[in-house]
Amino acid sequence: MKAASKVGFVAIVGGCATFLVAATIFLFTIGQPPLATLAHMAIYAFGDGYSLSESLVKATPILLCALAVILPARLGLITVGGEGQLYFGALTGTAVVVSFPAQPMFILLPAMLLAGAIGGAIWSGIAGLLRAKCNVNETISTLLMNYVAVLLVSYAIYGAWKDPTSLGWPATIPFPKAATVPSVFGTRVHAGLVVGVVAAVVLHIAVTYTRWGIALRVLAGNRKVAAMAGFDFVRQTLLVMAIGGALAGFAGICETSAIQGRLQAGISVGYGLTGFLVAWLSGQHFLRAIPIAILIGGLIAAGDALQLYSKIPSASATILQGLLFVAALGAGGLAGRRNARHG
Amino acid sequence: MAEAEVLAVAGSWVAAMLRSSTPLMMVTLGETLTQRVGIVNLGVEGQMLCGACVGFAVAAQTGSPVLGLAAGAAAGVLLSLVHAALCLGCDANQIGSGIAVFTLGLGLTSYFGRAVIGGRVAGLAPLAGADYVSVPFAGPILTQLTPIALIAIAVVLLAGLWLYRTRTGLNWRIVGESFQTARALGIQPMLVQAHGILIGGLLSGFAGAILSVDYTQTWANEMTKGRGFVAVGLVIVARWNPFLVLPVVLLFGLSEAATLRLQATGLALSPYLISCLPYIVCLLCVVVVSVREGRIGGMPAELASVFGRRR
Repeated sequence: MKAASKVGFVAIVGGCATFLVAATIFLFTIGQPPLATLAHMAIYAFGDGYSLSESLVKATPILLCALAVILPARLGLITVGGEGQLYFGALTGTAVVVSFPAQPMFILLPAMLLAGAIGGAIWSGIAGLLRAKCNVNETISTLLMNYVAVLLVSYAIYGAWKDPTSLGWPATIPFPKAATVPSVFGTRVHAGLVVGVVAAVVLHIAVTYTRWGIALRVLAGNRKVAAMAGFDFVRQTLLVMAIGGALAGFAGICETSAIQGRLQAGISVGYGLTGFLVAWLSGQHFLRAIPIAILIGGLIAAGDALQLYSKIPSASATILQGLLFVAALGAGGLAGRRNARHG
Repeated sequence: MAEAEVLAVAGSWVAAMLRSSTPLMMVTLGETLTQRVGIVNLGVEGQMLCGACVGFAVAAQTGSPVLGLAAGAAAGVLLSLVHAALCLGCDANQIGSGIAVFTLGLGLTSYFGRAVIGGRVAGLAPLAGADYVSVPFAGPILTQLTPIALIAIAVVLLAGLWLYRTRTGLNWRIVGESFQTARALGIQPMLVQAHGILIGGLLSGFAGAILSVDYTQTWANEMTKGRGFVAVGLVIVARWNPFLVLPVVLLFGLSEAATLRLQATGLALSPYLISCLPYIVCLLCVVVVSVREGRIGGMPAELASVFGRRR
């Protein structure tokens, strides 16, 4: 146990150091002063109340998408479908708003959020069903379905749902007040963040302290033993995929309602992929995913701010995410190997 | 007369099918070879993007499509080095590493690709000049196809012969079936796996460059649109066999050409719905072969731990 935590510590320090070196080299290459830019990014991410709130806004869908990766991972499934589930949830949630725009808030808002979550659950559940029943690799199916979901949203906003008063801009009607997810603290931070944090805590408790958590662990370890203990792989696969998808779909409809105010292209800037990164950095741990999602949210918010103030394209944030992922995987892998050799 | 028309239409279909499937053929072959040595690389999507971006930039700068194609292949190799270093050097998880490589390729190309957006390149010259367009059947093929399609087919066939008919090909297959056996036989399995990853990088970068330099002749962000991931699916459909890559990719290319034709006929269906088809077709194909997994076989045994049926 002590050796394991030591390995974890080495991996974290080594990963951070590798990332900082790689980030410095990258910033140097694009002709930016590395240290000053990194310092600026820290300030743009968490420097004041406004920056912090923007970071939390970005962290919200990232956290929800990370949870959508972590829960299936507990069953040994690797899904990269957060992006598609987010888009499909946005689509189904918006369907409610477009169909019944005049309903009062206490009907419309819950119905919209529920529809979004169900949409995400269905999209993810398809991959789960294919995995459990047809032995289709879930990584491939979720990756392919991401592209389909994005195209379906484009189909809706360029087609039947296009707002005729939007002067050719492909988007639905603006969401009425009754379909707007409430914000908190008077900022753009919305209730989705609260749901994400609560979901992380609940899921952590559920997989750590309940019989269900034991079922997932046994199924992930050895399916024959699990079958003898009466744990059903098909049902559990569908369940974890659907719950994960519901969270990502919820993120999608929240993003559409609270941040964009209407369904349009580009509701997500790779939040699904970033969620995958966060899940991996957290070691597939629900609670650790919360601070990491906020950190990465800060990185993305800082990337936006850099684009605004320093004219550095925000794609630099994607590159930094990639470097962070590479550094973490490399350091984690090396530390694990050392551990295996000595322990 | 009617017969000549049918031949002309058939010829243009074959040409469209070959043109749209050439990039996919190369990236699918690359991923097949990588997976044959027991490594899954989801980073092919990122490597393809890098190949497309660098290949386009070089072709636009130098005016030489051949140089562009070579530079694209080199860019794919460079990015695949990251996957090799992570998987082989650091024992990192292959799926995680592949997504990391994809993220890196996505970020790098959308950052540095801005400089070449809107540029134009001259692709390779077609096999025959416009004079031959009236030749029945072969006319449209010869005037629309560039040599790259023939080179790609030749490369696939050579790779198949090499894998099944040579000593080194056998060594690669041994590594993919059992790492430990390969080590006992005195093959350096790690080195073979490194070669497998880099060949995959070379071919995916080349595929990307074919896409931007020869096929669309333009660069746009995320222009590969998941072709790398589609290729990973098609590898499963082709049962990790280079010879089967050819019919699988050509059938897939036929469906893509058909969707393009459907769009061109002014069908009332939304182009966004039609664009969904390749992904759905690929997924359905994977479903069909996965259901029969046990009976068909063909998966390199070393992959099972990463990728396949888990217990």
